[in-house]
Amino acid sequence: MTASLVGIGAAPGIAVGPPLLVEPPVTEVADPGPAGPPAFEKERLHAALTQAAEELHAIAERARGFAGDEAEIFEAHAAFAEDPELEERAVALIDAGRSAVAAVGSAFAAFRELLAASSSEYLAARAADLDDVSARVVAILAGVARAPELPPGRWVLLARELTPSQTAEIPREQIAGIVTETGSPTSHAAILARTLGIPAVVGASGVLRVADAARHIALDGRTGEVHVDPEEEVLEAFAVRDAQEAARRAHLDAARFEPGTTADGVAVELVANVAGLDDITSARAAGAEGAGLVRTELLFQDRRVEPTVEEQATYYGAVLAAFPGQRVVFRTLDVGADKPLPFVAREPEPNPALGVRGVRLSLRRPKLFEHQLRALLRSHRDRPGGGVTGIMFPLVSRVDEVVAARSELRRVADDEGIALEGIEVGVMIEVPSAALAAERIAAHVDFLSIGTNDLLQYVFAVDRLVAEVAELADVCEPLVLDLIGSVVEAADRHGAWVGVCGETASDPGVAGALVGLGVRELSMVPGALGEVKDLLRRHDLATLRSVADQARRAASAGDARALISRLG
Amino acid sequence: MPSRTVTLTNPTGLHARPAKVFAQAAADSGLTVRVRKGDTTVNARSVLSILTLDCHLGDPITIDVDGDGAEAVLDELVTLVESGLGES
Repeated sequence: MTASLVGIGAAPGIAVGPPLLVEPPVTEVADPGPAGPPAFEKERLHAALTQAAEELHAIAERARGFAGDEAEIFEAHAAFAEDPELEERAVALIDAGRSAVAAVGSAFAAFRELLAASSSEYLAARAADLDDVSARVVAILAGVARAPELPPGRWVLLARELTPSQTAEIPREQIAGIVTETGSPTSHAAILARTLGIPAVVGASGVLRVADAARHIALDGRTGEVHVDPEEEVLEAFAVRDAQEAARRAHLDAARFEPGTTADGVAVELVANVAGLDDITSARAAGAEGAGLVRTELLFQDRRVEPTVEEQATYYGAVLAAFPGQRVVFRTLDVGADKPLPFVAREPEPNPALGVRGVRLSLRRPKLFEHQLRALLRSHRDRPGGGVTGIMFPLVSRVDEVVAARSELRRVADDEGIALEGIEVGVMIEVPSAALAAERIAAHVDFLSIGTNDLLQYVFAVDRLVAEVAELADVCEPLVLDLIGSVVEAADRHGAWVGVCGETASDPGVAGALVGLGVRELSMVPGALGEVKDLLRRHDLATLRSVADQARRAASAGDARALISRLG
Repeated sequence: MPSRTVTLTNPTGLHARPAKVFAQAAADSGLTVRVRKGDTTVNARSVLSILTLDCHLGDPITIDVDGDGAEAVLDELVTLVESGLGES
């Protein structure tokens, strides 16, 4: 039966092949049977844990060949199986009369609960890893084969959800692609699929039902399309897409570490948004020329007390160390009543988007602000390899906020005895009043960074998470392009440079238009850098300017987008 | 019983990988090693127990070592934590 559905693209690429249903691992044994003598059960327990650890070491060893760092997941899994406390707890349960299989299940479950109860997202995710290991040990004890030999051939794996070890245990050459009914693009299995280069679609709700008796599955891991028993035309179209994508990837990969520039050599800094230390690796791998937006919120969230200056400085230092000689722009704490911090007691607000957030909060909590500035200054002073460090204030709406924040920075720098050499001060332009006051703000700073996500929200009075109205807030609306152009012109008159951070910078055509408007730094998710770089290198500045000028004067967002899309 | 408090300097704190490095070193010492954060003390040989402490960059942790040559082992473990547990 031919059917099509759309899930979430989790790992790019095209795959076509016969489906193979992968059953979920056995995590519980319905009736573990009566327990043998404790000495016997303990021996079985120890043997099963040792075997599981050996298997996991072997998987890690094998995965290292193709998955690099991701292989370390399995070393961590092995360490869980070898954990002395875990075995001790299980042994105590055996002494209380339980069987090995029941005891080990309970011991894993106890740790699982401790981890799952943590407010840390990282630890909660480890709980799922623990299930994977627990299932392995239980399967060994219950004598259930875990990874059945696959029939020869290349298969599209179908599953409710795949565990990391299922993904890694099946020989790579036998997996054409993966489709799961549930799961998220950030699960280990999805990350592993991306690392292995296996096309994958997750969250393809209903796929297990429609693919029940299918002969072929075709999937596009970029668009999330899944076709069950596709028509010949679909297969032909997919084959063409596949070849094009492969050629495109090779082309972009080759220019990864080339600098960002227009065809006539005008430099455009192509930099990465960094939310946590995990993003650094992907930013560097994608050839980012620095970091244009380092969000500092992550360090403060999930904390009962404010992180110390030393802790903050270590964290900022770790980010700076990853970009030696390059520009790294930190955005000072940007939280509001929608994400309250336990150590900053505040009243709930009826409308957090318009309340005390960003620099408004920093200026009202001078100690919090001072500590962050101290840490940023110290990490800049101790920065290995040098480079410009940017300090940027979010949600500025008036010039006096800039003056206040700047003078606080100078005071703290004097107090610390740290020269401001190599430090650039900037302001996020995301509130319409700040965009309109760009001329006066630019007189006080080294750079302006336009945060298009919030700017669009405030210009159009549209919450972009409300799907019904989201499309009203279009960066291609000529008045927005004109506003950005006038911000650049105002900044130019004061020798300040202008960057854009926000999702719009990662749309290659729009990025080209922004450069045409005079923007010289674009900060985006690392994955978007290649396409943007490629577009800029194909056009000279005069072309980009001409497109931007026309788009700025276009009659509608649709007309402007049509002009921009010609940049291709 | 020798004991010392040290601040975590590696970026991810005590995530699985650095926790494993620490637990391995504790096990290799052959002595009883405990690690404490706040009011909770756990067996330092147990990666899972260390994980449940939810330690982050900049958190102070206290290491206790018990047995012959405890001082030398404590020195080694403190140096290991200060060097970033193989992370940076």
